[in-house]
Amino acid sequence: MSLDRVDKNWLFRGQFMARPHIEPLNPLLHLSSQKLTLGCPLLDHRLRGGLPVGSVTEIAGESASGKTQICLQILLSALLPPSRGGLSAASLFIHSEFPFPLRRLRALSSSSSLSDPLDHIFVAAAHSPHDLLSLLAAAESLVARPPTRLPIRLIVIDSIAALFRSDFDNTPSDLKKRSFLFFKIAAKLKEQARRFGLVVVVTNQVVDVVGSEDGPGRLRVGNYAYLCSSGRQVCPALGISWANCVNTRLFLSRKDMIVENNASSRTTRRMQVVFAPHLPEASCEFVIVRDGVFGVDL
Amino acid sequence: MSASIAMAESSRSGGHALLDGAQTAWDMLSEEQMQKPITTGCEELDTILGGGIQCKAVTEIGGIPGIGKTQLGIQLAVNVQIPVQYGGLGGKAVYIDTEGSFMVERAHQIIEGCIADLFENFEHRKQSLVCPDILQPNSFLANIFYFRICSYTEQIAAVNYLEKFLEEHQDVNIIVVDSITFHFRRDFDDLAMRTRVLGGMSSKLMRFAKKHNLAVVLLNQVTTKFVDGSFQLTLALGDSWSHACTNRIILYWNGNERHAYIDKSPSLRSASAPFQVTSKGIRNVTSNCKRVRMM
Repeated sequence: MSLDRVDKNWLFRGQFMARPHIEPLNPLLHLSSQKLTLGCPLLDHRLRGGLPVGSVTEIAGESASGKTQICLQILLSALLPPSRGGLSAASLFIHSEFPFPLRRLRALSSSSSLSDPLDHIFVAAAHSPHDLLSLLAAAESLVARPPTRLPIRLIVIDSIAALFRSDFDNTPSDLKKRSFLFFKIAAKLKEQARRFGLVVVVTNQVVDVVGSEDGPGRLRVGNYAYLCSSGRQVCPALGISWANCVNTRLFLSRKDMIVENNASSRTTRRMQVVFAPHLPEASCEFVIVRDGVFGVDL
Repeated sequence: MSASIAMAESSRSGGHALLDGAQTAWDMLSEEQMQKPITTGCEELDTILGGGIQCKAVTEIGGIPGIGKTQLGIQLAVNVQIPVQYGGLGGKAVYIDTEGSFMVERAHQIIEGCIADLFENFEHRKQSLVCPDILQPNSFLANIFYFRICSYTEQIAAVNYLEKFLEEHQDVNIIVVDSITFHFRRDFDDLAMRTRVLGGMSSKLMRFAKKHNLAVVLLNQVTTKFVDGSFQLTLALGDSWSHACTNRIILYWNGNERHAYIDKSPSLRSASAPFQVTSKGIRNVTSNCKRVRMM
């Protein structure tokens, strides 16, 4: 979309006096604070209720840290009524990682109390940032006029990083192009989150932090000076640009500990709040079991 | 100043000018209130700012994600409302949210923290200095005029609309834009046009600041630029438009502590101060320091 196509005249004459949507805060109190449960009261408690409606939450972590597991879990919790922390809503799952974990989703949905949950989960594949933008444009009509009796109120993108893996080199001009796309995608997601009262979750990969003390990877972003997973110092992919695009950033980490003279290993997993406008620094240990992802109290 | 001009004129023309140019004592007090800066909630930060965020000026505040820009924005939209009887401006706020960072529950917490501190600082008074309805969270929330902007066109329209809005709401003392650049960081065919649009927007906001005696606070993102062989943090969209800002403050991490430094100001010297983001909002790092404001 180019600024050229907008009527230049009204920009400069200030004649466009259309009243933007002014919202008195009091009546909005219940809408703005609505949260989607993660499916576990302990994890919800760390997030003050769950994932907020109207905002973009990023879940970053290395492979097998639990990102997709949590995503599948919230596809199901969205179907719960608000009294149980859900949205009574269908979801759209856009995946760029393959294959789509259908078997795991089936297993989780069979152990849930809901009837026909899979009928209310829409899945689409994206192979590039432009694919994603087209999908979001098409999704708008889906969200506005849902085909099933339930509206769509959750969009999950798993993952944003995989969309940018190929196609972009490390040259300044490519990085700039990539950055433009981040802001275009984020603006679209936030607009839809606002207009349709959606929860938007985007997963992100992590990269190893290397380089000199002054390098960009060393820059502290959020509540922790360092983020570690599997014994390595890491940071979420796509740089500061993308970090500017999300409202809340959660980080999932794992640590494999050898127990009892190399006889076995135990994996401990942790969810941390890296930054959020409504949350203080918080972390919670969790496990991934047959029935899903659950926080553990120590 | 008007009073002394009136006096000078009256001595020349023999009395009539005393009525023309004179101000009532109330007008003079109002003008004084309007010049009062808005406290940030952190005394050390207030000190390097010369008392707080200045009215009649545009202040740009930049920093990386998670450093506390939105926290400070909400704090200012709350603190502007501190009643005159408690040493504040007793004004209202306009909050233009372009990113969806404004969370009502967090604003509620910050308001509660502000009210609690007011009572604590004035505990030598047996009763409230103002009507109890004023020091209620819902009252504070109602005094924040919130605009949610989802595109650059809406942002332009909102700023244009403010012209009329501010005429109708003379009690607004602060406009917070959170953030000013987000919607302009996507691809535009004509970047020169983008610069002009942003420049036009910031001059308009500067005009509002001067005309209506209010503080304009523009929150901005940062980006990394590879300059002279090392990575440097710069404010998004650079200096091409922000020359229209009176002051510029950068929020950054200094070890494990949040700091703010004055990057640009016509009157303040470059200094830095530590601050904290607590459950009550923006506060001093040494939180045990209480200062009772005597009226």
